[in-house]
Amino acid sequence: MEIKKINEQENTLEIKNLVIHYISDEEVVKAVNGVNIIIKAGKTLGLVGETGAGKTTTALSILNLVPEPQGKILSGEVLLQGRSVLSMSERELEVMRGDKVAMIFQDPMTSLNPVHTVGRQIAESIEIHRKVSKQQALKQAKEMLELVGIPSERSNEYPYQFSGGMKQRVDIAIALACSPDLLIADEPTTALDVTIQAQVLKLINELRQEYHMSMLMITHDLGIVAEVCDEVSIAYAGRIIEHGTLEDIFDHMRHPYTKGLFNALPDIGVKRSELKPIKGLMPDPTNLPSGCPFHPRCDYVMEVCSQSLPENKWLSETHCVECHLYKDTNESML
Amino acid sequence: MDETVQKYTTRKGFFKQYKKKSRLQETWNRFLRNKLAVIGLFIFVFIILAAVAAPLIANYDTDAIRVNVPSRLQSPSAKHIFGTDELGRDIMARIVHGARISLVVGCAAIAVALFIGGALGAIAGYSGGKIDDVIMRCMDVFLCLPDVLLALAIVAAFGTNLVNLTIAIGLAFTPKFSRVVRSAVMTVRGVEYVEAARTIGATNTQIITNHVLINCFGPIMVQVTLYVASAILTIAAMSFIGLGIQAPIPEWGNMLASGRVYMRDHAYIVMAPGLAIFLTILSLNLLGDGLRDALDPRLK
Amino acid sequence: MSNVLLEVKDLKKYYKVPKGMLHAVDGVSFNLEKGKTLGIVGESGCGKTTIGRAILRLVEPTSGSVIFDGVDIPKLNKQEMRHMRRNMQLIFQDPFSSLNPRKTITQTIEEPIILANMIPDPDKRFMRVMELMDTVGLAERLVNTYPHELDGGRRQRIGIARALAMNPKFIICDEPVSALDVSIQAQILNLMKKIQREMGLTYIFITHNLAVVNHFSDDIVVMYLGRLIEKAPPETLFANPLHPYTQALLSAVPVPRIHNRPERLLLRGEITSPINPEPICRFANRCNYALPICSKEEPCLIEVEPDHFVACHIVKRG
Repeated sequence: MEIKKINEQENTLEIKNLVIHYISDEEVVKAVNGVNIIIKAGKTLGLVGETGAGKTTTALSILNLVPEPQGKILSGEVLLQGRSVLSMSERELEVMRGDKVAMIFQDPMTSLNPVHTVGRQIAESIEIHRKVSKQQALKQAKEMLELVGIPSERSNEYPYQFSGGMKQRVDIAIALACSPDLLIADEPTTALDVTIQAQVLKLINELRQEYHMSMLMITHDLGIVAEVCDEVSIAYAGRIIEHGTLEDIFDHMRHPYTKGLFNALPDIGVKRSELKPIKGLMPDPTNLPSGCPFHPRCDYVMEVCSQSLPENKWLSETHCVECHLYKDTNESML
Repeated sequence: MDETVQKYTTRKGFFKQYKKKSRLQETWNRFLRNKLAVIGLFIFVFIILAAVAAPLIANYDTDAIRVNVPSRLQSPSAKHIFGTDELGRDIMARIVHGARISLVVGCAAIAVALFIGGALGAIAGYSGGKIDDVIMRCMDVFLCLPDVLLALAIVAAFGTNLVNLTIAIGLAFTPKFSRVVRSAVMTVRGVEYVEAARTIGATNTQIITNHVLINCFGPIMVQVTLYVASAILTIAAMSFIGLGIQAPIPEWGNMLASGRVYMRDHAYIVMAPGLAIFLTILSLNLLGDGLRDALDPRLK
Repeated sequence: MSNVLLEVKDLKKYYKVPKGMLHAVDGVSFNLEKGKTLGIVGESGCGKTTIGRAILRLVEPTSGSVIFDGVDIPKLNKQEMRHMRRNMQLIFQDPFSSLNPRKTITQTIEEPIILANMIPDPDKRFMRVMELMDTVGLAERLVNTYPHELDGGRRQRIGIARALAMNPKFIICDEPVSALDVSIQAQILNLMKKIQREMGLTYIFITHNLAVVNHFSDDIVVMYLGRLIEKAPPETLFANPLHPYTQALLSAVPVPRIHNRPERLLLRGEITSPINPEPICRFANRCNYALPICSKEEPCLIEVEPDHFVACHIVKRG
């Protein structure tokens, strides 16, 4: 892998006001409703949300892989190092995928092709994007395997011969084979045991620090966010309802949903008699509540919350929140 | 518990309040969206109606059976829509009456196959192990033989009446059904709600009837329509070579056989039954495909 | 001592596989008192799911005894076992596949009552179903809905209602909240605790999530490759984990805090095969503290301090 030269000024990823709906005969699924994301060069953003928050759809849009024909990008921009992904031609997209942006998926079982050796699958990416011979590509593939902690002799083995954790490492090797500028990890450790998860997270941390890679870490686990990320965006019903640095979110959380998430977590250090769940259910993306999408479940709900969407309010240089509670506040009041 | 008594009245009354959302309705809607399947449905319904209304359209004895040599080999006209055959019988009359035979024997044969093959397949699929092996190897022996040959062998041995024919074809299709039902049962067998049924104390029989078979319904239904088409084709083939429905009873296959020699100068004699067979098989296949797509649990 | 509802003694479940014998559960023993919750934790391949099934005889134990309320479960015949099932129920992990998609909620909850012939009168039975739905927090208007129309949290509530339908004394919960969203998990856990208090239920709670088991259990058992390697109440276990695997497991849990983050103990290597295991400490190949004896002898479970059991050579030496 080559170490990239960082252009400190440039944002690796900028998503502006992205709106994506899945439209079918029966219903419209409002998956993404105005998402704004910025990932600075070399930084890791944690995108936190539960089912239906729109995280995976947002991630797919970065690669322009939102499933068609139902998935329609209704508005918004996705800028990868300044270039608009949504207006790229098919050829440009092929060049970009794997080379500039790579993705690791949740389930290592199904994201590897069972009939090819792992060495071949890693080499495939290298062959496509670099002008090297097959042998050269395989040689580089072996190096990638060593990098992720798998002995290079195993490059001739097939996916079924590897355990879940090792398969995920192979996925990481494939993703990093061409030194992408942006790595998208969609719940990469959810399907793994906790001790294996620790190993994989450590690996991801080491690699991103060594190669100054930007990363979008999609997860629902705030523990992983604390471990790996620099900044956090909290997603709910297709919107980013709070964003900030680790300190902003963990120490100074503002949005009632964020507070609810933390309160609902059983902490291993503290035993409480009752957990504090968030009342109600996840919103139905085909039938979103009026106004603020969280208002039916909010403990601090006011009348205005059901009437209009809250605007994005910057509480500090790094911390912003979308909530009517903070409409007129400034920092000193908090 | 007293509060509950006051709160709710009878079960029926309660259910009336909250109507059941029918899965059938959803499936039907999905089916309707498939244009080809709807066409298939229309054609098949038309054929059934024609068969049911056969006595109204044409009298069996006078038009379909009675030999009327002077009016033989007449081209299609207003009086005889499909013309007359080599013995002067109205071809259309023979077609619609023949439809009855094909449909009844076809469906009855498949019913036999479904019943026997389904039972064997369900037992094999649910039990697994040695029972599964024994049953399936027996079925494999029969699967090796082409359907027509197997049915022929049975009919040749026991005689060519309608009942024998139905049973023969039914037995020929039994192994196919046993495979279909077996794999459907095996898919469902490992599912957690089956395990859940065991935790609440259901017996194996209860589990099979209550949980397993209900969920296999879809794929089995699809196979039924496709196999009925096959069965009808088999009857026609057997009648064609003379070991199925015997003359003078009208059947599309034997109509093809007897009309064959006149094909060159009087094409209509074979076109009509040929078209009938073609449309029936086509409509059933479209129907089957449409059913399979509509029943596909895309909704989770 | 008569307070003990469940006594598991040397329970074993072996599977015959082409390469030999797979030791899924290899001699596990514990007692469970009435009204308490036992948490069984471990990662994949440790046997926690199998042991749950073996206790309920959904898979037949290879050997060992399971004494429930004085009755030796594996020795019962089919008829007696079906009757016994009313007292011991199971809540499944996957709220999607544990419900028959062709049955409405009412039919699913009603089925155990019908099978046990507990309430022959249909109207009275229906009222019992409504009562159960109320207990688990399902609205009455959902009476005729099918599982696919509902979300994971509600489906899990149906599973709980079904388990409660026969008035059991004992419920095994197999990862009941793992498939649910975090905000819903807390709802379901609180509900299960409430039901336990109100109905005097005894639970076994099987999970890989240590934070959840801390919140929920009175006693915790840690399993590794089919063996019980540590047993202690949560306060003791989390404050003073003795077995190296438990220590690694606890430290591996990602902590949602950015200050005072605990030190991470990482394990080397991979889990060994459960097929034909050797009679040595099965954790030795990954243990950072392994001694020569660990690769020669299998450690036994000993009580190191009151109520705290460990199977480890290093701990024995003190």
